[in-house]
Amino acid sequence: MREDDARAQGALERTLDELTTCRHSRRRFLGRSAGAALLAGGFASVLSACGIEGTATKNVADLERAAAGVRHPEVPIGNWTFSNWPLYMDKPIIREFDRRYGGRCKYVEDINDNTEFFGKVRQQLSQGAPIGRDIVTLTDYMAAKWVRSGYVTPWDKQNVPNAKNLVDNLKSINYDPERLFTLPYQSGAIGLGYDIRATGRELKSAKEFFNPEWKGKVTLFSEPYDAAGTVLLMDGKDPSKATIDDMVGAVAKIEEVAGTGQFRKFTGNDYTTDLTKGNIVLAMAYSGDMVQLQSDNPNLRFAYPEEGAMLFTDNLMLPAEVAHPYAAEKMFDYLYEPEVAAKLCAYVNYISPVDGIRPILERTDPEIAENELIFPPDDVRKRLRPYPALSTREESQMYEAMAKVTGA
Amino acid sequence: MSLARRRKLLPWWFALPGLLWLIVFFAVPILNQVSVSLMSGDPEVGYDLTWSFSTYWDAIADYHEQFLRSIGYAGAATVLALVIGFPLAYFIAYKAGRYKGLWLLLVILPFFVSQVMRTASWQLMLNDDGWIVARMQDVGIVSEDGRFLASGKAVVFGLTYNFLPFMVLPLYATLDRIDRRLIEAASDLGASRATAFRKVTLPLAIPGIFAGSLLVFIPACGDYINSSILGSPNTTMIGNVIQSKFLNVLDYPTAAALSFILMGLILLGIAIYGRILGTRQLTELAG
Repeated sequence: MREDDARAQGALERTLDELTTCRHSRRRFLGRSAGAALLAGGFASVLSACGIEGTATKNVADLERAAAGVRHPEVPIGNWTFSNWPLYMDKPIIREFDRRYGGRCKYVEDINDNTEFFGKVRQQLSQGAPIGRDIVTLTDYMAAKWVRSGYVTPWDKQNVPNAKNLVDNLKSINYDPERLFTLPYQSGAIGLGYDIRATGRELKSAKEFFNPEWKGKVTLFSEPYDAAGTVLLMDGKDPSKATIDDMVGAVAKIEEVAGTGQFRKFTGNDYTTDLTKGNIVLAMAYSGDMVQLQSDNPNLRFAYPEEGAMLFTDNLMLPAEVAHPYAAEKMFDYLYEPEVAAKLCAYVNYISPVDGIRPILERTDPEIAENELIFPPDDVRKRLRPYPALSTREESQMYEAMAKVTGA
Repeated sequence: MSLARRRKLLPWWFALPGLLWLIVFFAVPILNQVSVSLMSGDPEVGYDLTWSFSTYWDAIADYHEQFLRSIGYAGAATVLALVIGFPLAYFIAYKAGRYKGLWLLLVILPFFVSQVMRTASWQLMLNDDGWIVARMQDVGIVSEDGRFLASGKAVVFGLTYNFLPFMVLPLYATLDRIDRRLIEAASDLGASRATAFRKVTLPLAIPGIFAGSLLVFIPACGDYINSSILGSPNTTMIGNVIQSKFLNVLDYPTAAALSFILMGLILLGIAIYGRILGTRQLTELAG
């Protein structure tokens, strides 16, 4: 009881502090007095709000230390929430989880776009308030941003024995070398999506994106991590070790070619319409999408660029101030059972991070087991590269450069 | 308190809920965004209020092209919507008879489907090898590279399509309210139908034209959906820039400044337009 009181008092003091001080600096003080003189008192108080907090607020080292001792003891599952992308889950898998472990998983498909989703919950995260979700699924660069900013809760490895099934090449990643905060959900590669009737030949190299033969009939991703990363691979550089200068240089290269009218559009997922309708010949494409599109149109092809391909991974994470960590970790564990992972893989058609599902699929779904887009051959796998680790500042510099190219 | 004074206060009590609403949901957010537009910093350390007005000048210098394009596209869409919407509204008001309700329903029916869905389905229908684009080629609307999508024309088309009902409804309301006896009187006094239309109907319809134009022009100026779905890198509008600044670049001050510049430009435009079409002229014409 005493402890609770003390904590409440501490919180109250902090709030009062924040309300009254606003981290005064001389410049700001001057600015504010000028403002107060300019405007009526009531308006000025609205105007001189405390500014917008940056993302560099928490110390990752502290979090990492906390992660070592993290323990989420077993509790009844209850009602909890799993946020994911649309069409990224075979729903019966969730219902089976509910049956097996009790409670009810509220499965919401409310992540349509990494940055948009971040925009939605950023304020709560920076204020240390819960975001009402127990699992969020975010792509590498966004996961990196959350880890860097301390918007995550480390997961308790004792609750996830199946994590041992994680494939070797994803056991470590630059922004979370020991996977203390993230666990891969699905991966996909970025490559050449094309209609072989329109090209008349097989395309193999990332250089094809810049080939004037397809002028005006090519789309690239507007996401610079994907587009610039692919360009770096084309030039024989390793994008996972790229610096901001490398990335901005690659963007400049895209800009130069864009000036000739090479690219019809810069897209997100919407390249699929232009590709299936024949408006374009070649798209920068996601491997998983192409599996689905091929089933409608067998002339569509996907090629991993021979120079290497960008590999993105969507990660399961517990947000900061998570309410039901045990339930979430139980779900981590469940999704890493090879049988469950095989079922999921057969549904979403992306590259699974769970070892040992291929033999299962050979039995249940031989066509999927043989698909190179879902099980890349070893020589391709060796050439898959994750995103570079950039700081928030560098990242916004890169986005700004890319925005100039896409016209925004 | 005397009865007279209470009487005086009464209207204020009635206005109170509306005033509170305006303060909480309009004044506070606007002032908050004003303060954001005057901050400086970067996404890592955060943004602090430094009264940096230079953001506004930089924003204009960097993005005047997108501003001009937005105004151009929105203006073109407004004119097109008026050209298409006026005959339609006229037809519904004067010729549709007992099917008026049905026609009006047809006009607003598209609103039952989300704008993004409707625009995306146009993207499907307007594909380069499709029937519609082939017909457009026949009449020479499409340039020699044989495509309509990913061009400024496609964006203007999308804006016109999406905002047309906003033009038709106020026009219909105004035309329908015109006293028919005035038109009869005009022809009794020897005016031809064209003259009666020009001298009586059209001037009386001006408030509808004004309202309709504003309802189309203002949202069209800030729209970013049409440009991102039907356009290309060369057709980005200011809304696309604001979206990218807010969500990708995380440059909140520039995004806020751009929003206010847009707001200022629109207000200025309305003031000029109101001057040209405004009530003064309206009364003169009617008199």
